[in-house]
Amino acid sequence: MKTIRTLVAIVLVGGAIGIAIVANAVCDQTAASQADRDLWNTHGCWQDFFLWQYRAYGLNSNDWSGRGWNDACNNILEYPKHWNASFLLTYGLLDNNDQSFHGTVDYRATAEAASSNFHNSIHDTIADGTAFFGSYSGGAVTTFCPLYNSTWQNSNPGSRGGDFEHEGWHAWMEKYNWNNGSANGHRPCTTNPDGSCTNGACTINGCDYFYFHGISKYVFGAMWENDGTANRFHSPNQVQVEYLCDVADQSQSWVPASVRLAAKTDADTRAAQRFINGPGYACGSARPW
Amino acid sequence: MNSQWMRSMMRLSLGVLAVALLPGCKPAGSSKDAPQTKTTGGPRPSEILKAYKEHSPPQLTFGDDVSQFLDWAGASHVDEREDARKAIAAAGNNKTVVQALIKEVERVKTVDHTRALLALALLGETRSPEAQAFFVEFVQRPLPTGGPVIEGEIVEQTHAAQLQAKAVDGLAYANNESSNKVVTDIIANHPSKIVRAEAINAYLWNHDDSDDARKFLSQYVRKDELILIDRVRRTTGENAESFNRKLDQFLKKHPEVVPPRPEKLEARQKPADQRRAFDVKPPDF
Repeated sequence: MKTIRTLVAIVLVGGAIGIAIVANAVCDQTAASQADRDLWNTHGCWQDFFLWQYRAYGLNSNDWSGRGWNDACNNILEYPKHWNASFLLTYGLLDNNDQSFHGTVDYRATAEAASSNFHNSIHDTIADGTAFFGSYSGGAVTTFCPLYNSTWQNSNPGSRGGDFEHEGWHAWMEKYNWNNGSANGHRPCTTNPDGSCTNGACTINGCDYFYFHGISKYVFGAMWENDGTANRFHSPNQVQVEYLCDVADQSQSWVPASVRLAAKTDADTRAAQRFINGPGYACGSARPW
Repeated sequence: MNSQWMRSMMRLSLGVLAVALLPGCKPAGSSKDAPQTKTTGGPRPSEILKAYKEHSPPQLTFGDDVSQFLDWAGASHVDEREDARKAIAAAGNNKTVVQALIKEVERVKTVDHTRALLALALLGETRSPEAQAFFVEFVQRPLPTGGPVIEGEIVEQTHAAQLQAKAVDGLAYANNESSNKVVTDIIANHPSKIVRAEAINAYLWNHDDSDDARKFLSQYVRKDELILIDRVRRTTGENAESFNRKLDQFLKKHPEVVPPRPEKLEARQKPADQRRAFDVKPPDF
């Protein structure tokens, strides 16, 4: 009887630990993508910036412990990658009113924690797992391992910042009571007889509309505005694509080519497959280099 | 085994599970701690940039040069684009360089997506027959059908499709009879919309977005994707007047893309906005 009890105990406790390990599958902390490294080398771990950034994004040491909070210059860890993306977002854009979709003032206000016309106060946190790139709920922007694991396509500074924009825009929708759909804040797709799932031109289960607007139609600082119609409005994926496009084509001269190329690739992919009334704009030249 | 013992074990197991699922058990009261680093502070980026030596690409003569050249190319600035183009054009007929670039694509394609994109971009710029042959084979590789799924998107499939789309840029840039044949075949038959869309975009870009090119492509593009022929592209450095004119034409031709009026949610009680004080101004660059 004693042996059976011991075996049952091992199975129960071991199973519980196993479930916990699976649920908390940790992000890869072994490498940074070339785009992350190239951008990193432009600042060489700028301490004044991350000591500003952690407050500007409302970061809490409890959330980021074990992820580079106490090793903020180790660029293979999650927190350094997070603030590397913020560095790009804060300083990397050209802000040409005659060419850029929006200005740094718009993208910063969307991503940063402070309450403004863009959203009520938010804060950035992190969680393990690979089921999402990011999420927004109740003031918390959570980013997940696909934005930090160096082998994944979205583990680069532009895509990470693009996710800050996307989730920040869900906070905008919450502030102004907009309904963007039932699939995690997007419109769901419908499964077709061939097994594919589509909604108009959108091919994933999380579709948005693209609210086309010209350049200079929003003065810098006015991205938050809307007139209640499709004439002056943005969706989360659209804000993300416009940010990525501005990184790709309207960046400061010093922004590395690897960062710009990864941003263009992400923008073009999203524009092709995430909009019901798509495609969104294509970004930049189709010349290979 | 008595039931009391079983209940005790279940409670113990649930306790272990609950503790393990907590997002790290950290000491209370540390939430206001600032991030730390073991290294000393360096100069501002503007100071670091002063030491950057522009327009100085490393040599690209031998296969062994490729790794260092890719390091430089990835870090290169906007106004060094032509430096890279000149270097790669000079090496376009150098088979050892082209083969080394192909080898680098294969080496990093599953470990560093951003470096694989760079290598494919440089390879496409060579317009070399060896690169073209590689691209033809590369774009036909089956796309992954398993692995993690996010919002219905098979992440590894998108990963591979993005690389294939970059290879298509190289095929379209060669712009000869055989490469264009491959591009039109991709437009008609490739399983990924990401790749088909880029093939259309790249073909048109390499044919000056002419009406003849659009008409030619319309016989290959899937009927449900014909709108991709008219897709608006913001080219680098394009001003508002030019872009807005193209957008107006697109919207006139495709009134069906105008979205419906956004929907409001029923008014809900929201928690009070917890305003915190932040430094609005970041440190000077």
